[in-house]
Amino acid sequence: MNGGPTPHDISRDLLRRERRWRLIGFLAILISSATLIIAIKGLLVSTILGFVIAYLFSPIVDWLERRGLGRGLATVLPFALGGIVVGVGISIVLPMIVDQATNLVERLPHYQQELTSLVSSIEHKYRAYWKVGQINPSKELAEWIAIKTADVSAALPDAVSHSFTVLMLAPFFAFFMLQDGNAISRSLLSFVPNPLFEIALNLRHQINDQLGGFIRARFLEAAIVGLVVWIGLFSLDFPYTTILSIFAAATNLIPYLGPIIGAIPAILITLVSPEFAISEPGTNAATMLILVTSVYLIAQLIDVVFIIPLVVAKIVDLHPVTVVVMIIVGAEVGGILGMVVSIPVASAVKLTFNALYSHLTHFRD
Amino acid sequence: MNFLWDNIFRKSSERALNAQLRDNLLFRDLSEAELRFLERCVHIRHYHSSEPIFRQGEVGVGMYIIAKGRVEIFVSDPNSPNDESRDIFVTQLLPSDFFGELSLVEENGRRTATAIAREETTLIGFFKPDLVEILARRPAMGTRIALRLAEVLGRRLKETTEKVSELRRALKDLRAPPARDHGAQP
Repeated sequence: MNGGPTPHDISRDLLRRERRWRLIGFLAILISSATLIIAIKGLLVSTILGFVIAYLFSPIVDWLERRGLGRGLATVLPFALGGIVVGVGISIVLPMIVDQATNLVERLPHYQQELTSLVSSIEHKYRAYWKVGQINPSKELAEWIAIKTADVSAALPDAVSHSFTVLMLAPFFAFFMLQDGNAISRSLLSFVPNPLFEIALNLRHQINDQLGGFIRARFLEAAIVGLVVWIGLFSLDFPYTTILSIFAAATNLIPYLGPIIGAIPAILITLVSPEFAISEPGTNAATMLILVTSVYLIAQLIDVVFIIPLVVAKIVDLHPVTVVVMIIVGAEVGGILGMVVSIPVASAVKLTFNALYSHLTHFRD
Repeated sequence: MNFLWDNIFRKSSERALNAQLRDNLLFRDLSEAELRFLERCVHIRHYHSSEPIFRQGEVGVGMYIIAKGRVEIFVSDPNSPNDESRDIFVTQLLPSDFFGELSLVEENGRRTATAIAREETTLIGFFKPDLVEILARRPAMGTRIALRLAEVLGRRLKETTEKVSELRRALKDLRAPPARDHGAQP
């Protein structure tokens, strides 16, 4: 090498030690922030929701900034508009939801009873084929429903207050993520040692890009599925249309299993509701069952044929087995929310590993 | 090889970040407000003497402007028999010089040389994700930077072509057979 060492040259050991400390500092900040978020009750959910809102709003904020608005105003406007839309939406949709929910709660014991007697009649009919005489599905179902109903009733007040805190904190977090997210991540990146800096910066950009696209695509997908279910059930004059379509949209965020979970309540109501009861004479119940199932199938067909290939598949490239395993792990760790966030988290982890592997193999060959 | 790495847009001394950016050819067309926005996009990195900034063959994602210090550029000769003579010194870069700008437009482009700090050095890093962000948030500003970047790369290409032509001519002269002395013929 032509340029020999100068009197100011730092020794390799000293340089290595400094890099190691910088890396430890960087990882310590990341790990302590993650621990804090996980340890404080509700903070994890608020943070995740905050990220979701921030990713949903970021194209609007960027668009407003492109129109010449400052970042502050470009961030405030969508939140103000979103607040108005949510407020108006709640004032219109909430009475419908409350009305339908009250009706559902009133009729729940009846549905419960109908479901138990339906299982009991099936059980009675096929008793001859039951190999184990000790099992009593209708009794077990009745007990299970009673326990679950008691659990839900006990947990409801706490869940409502908890949800209120989470819903209040999430937009607050989202606002600051959009407003100061870049400055925060730049400060954090300044701790990264020099040899890893470019890869860390590129990785942040890729994860941000992929995660943002994925979240926006999933929400668009959920909204379209919810709308199709609502139109379908409404045209069938089915009860609880709003609640069932919101439920279908929300569960559609869970890959593979979500659409099935989303369809279960409507199918159960069709089976046990006296209006469409399958035990009643005539084919009304069976026809309604086919129609209701068709509504959900059409929604899924539109999802699979148009939405997934156009907006989702290009974004996350995970093997179906990986997806199912990640959903199970997510459910074990964080319940329903764990199932929903498992795939974006898995994608981010895969991206990080790919980038690190590429760095170790290609960057250094 | 110097023609590839020598800074043809050199200025001198260490100044405030805003002034450093304003004087750089890439950001010359930006307004004061845009320069303030740019200040929030770039990254300040510090290097010790003899610390590598990047190595030849690594994937690069952006360019560096020297704010303070001195950087030396080397290229590796794979045909060299021993390690000591493998790195060939190309050039020395001083404050206001910039290098690595080709990575701003390449997809997973590899560094064509090794850059090493030769004293306590402060660099201003401007990377592809930063340019992408500027293009998304301030397209007019991003376009002005991209046009200047194209100009810089064009100039580098022109110089390279001229040097390659010179080398070809020199090679042709070397290969040409010596002229015969007709008078000496019988």
